[in-house]
Amino acid sequence: MAARPRVVAALAAALRDLDAAEEAFADAAATCLALAEPPRDVAAWLYVAARRRAIDAIRKARAEARTADAMAGVSDMADILNLPEPIPDERLRLLFICCHPALAAEVRAALALRVICGLPVGAIAQLFVVSEATMFQRITRAKAKVREAGIAFEPPERRHWLERLDAVLLALELAFTAAYADAGGELSADIGEDLGAEVERLALLVAELLPQEPEALGLAALVLLARSRARARLDAEGAMVPLSRQDAAKWDFARIERARTILGQAAERGRSGPYQVMAAIQLTHARRAYDGAVDWGAVLRLYDVLLALRPSPMVALSRALALAQLEGAEAGLAALDALPDHRLALARPWHVARADLLAKAGRAGEAVAALDAALALEPPRAERLWLERRRAQLA
Amino acid sequence: MQFMLLINEDGSPYADPDGGHLLEQVVAGHIKLAEDLVAAGVPFSGERLKAAATATTVRSDNGVVTIHDGPFAETHEELGGFYIIDVASLDEALAWARRIPVPKGGVEVRPVWQMEG
Repeated sequence: MAARPRVVAALAAALRDLDAAEEAFADAAATCLALAEPPRDVAAWLYVAARRRAIDAIRKARAEARTADAMAGVSDMADILNLPEPIPDERLRLLFICCHPALAAEVRAALALRVICGLPVGAIAQLFVVSEATMFQRITRAKAKVREAGIAFEPPERRHWLERLDAVLLALELAFTAAYADAGGELSADIGEDLGAEVERLALLVAELLPQEPEALGLAALVLLARSRARARLDAEGAMVPLSRQDAAKWDFARIERARTILGQAAERGRSGPYQVMAAIQLTHARRAYDGAVDWGAVLRLYDVLLALRPSPMVALSRALALAQLEGAEAGLAALDALPDHRLALARPWHVARADLLAKAGRAGEAVAALDAALALEPPRAERLWLERRRAQLA
Repeated sequence: MQFMLLINEDGSPYADPDGGHLLEQVVAGHIKLAEDLVAAGVPFSGERLKAAATATTVRSDNGVVTIHDGPFAETHEELGGFYIIDVASLDEALAWARRIPVPKGGVEVRPVWQMEG
């Protein structure tokens, strides 16, 4: 159902109850689908209908009597079909509420992804590399705590923003990771909106609110740079186009320029951090459009910094690929093979990277085997099409 | 809404040579806090408890009731006192909890179950 995240966020803010918001939305959506004629403004209709439903439910639950009385006025609406009530955009505010320090650190970003972005619990579990059951339990507990512990739904005072910023940025980063991996748009279709566009909007808002925080600026720049390539990422048949093969003319230079400016502002603060370094890496790639070539020495140095700031198997893998550009495919392969026991966590990127370097080293047979290993791990459609094409070229 | 602020404190700093002075400071801090609560118009109550060594616990196990010498949980930090305050949100309760003087330990903030009216 389109508009779900926007409506649920507005409901949660109005009802001060994340669970009630989701339930009321589901009810209202079912009613809406059963209507003979769809309402003119589906989102507004859903918001009003769901809020009315939730308030009725709350009234029935006597325990919440005080809250219901406070909101009694709004349920007396005549013709909700034609009410063009503007939906308050509460998502940024809710993002900060979900990242409240009274919630366990490991659940803040996850809760935000569920409530603000409407990501399915299964997708969130994947991002955090835990089972769906574990993630479901964490999110359920967090919602109950928000409801029962009396967490304020007013926007936090400015001085409290900073203690929530790390979780806010992590939530946005992970939401964007999910959106970016969804080149084919299946997830966005499921959620009912362009997740990447929404994350970009929120990341820019956070950067605007906290211009003195270089990492907030860094994340905004990172998202802008990734989105600057949206038109170049897929070919006519919907196959993925790897960064190195993208037609730079298709990049969005307004976004690249904006990212460059934002990253410059961040640098003036003199405090580096992982998001700024990641954005700097992407900016170095973007410079290919101006310089005609990528400065791989700079990329490698930035990956070294990133590895020190925030080590991860994926960063180590990317570093190995940068190394291969400078010292040859065999050096890259050696670095890939030296990656310790994290292969399972990133099995597919690892096989894809190996296939790339094996092909460059002239070891076509092994490259095909690596591609087969990657294809066996169920890549998304765009990636599968690309890998199959590579395989056909090599075989 | 009402919140209980449970002060769990490790008493060892008070046993240090300068402990007497420290205790004076902490008591002064509580008095100041109470004054500030009054000034802010926050309804509250609160008490200081005697040491956990004075505690007696009534334990119940499937109807079998026994009396034990000592606190409910033997921990390094012991419940030393509490406040109950009536504020709008957890955030406000946390802001007050931060101001409770605790040289070593922590303050647990718990919403009080609201009876329906």
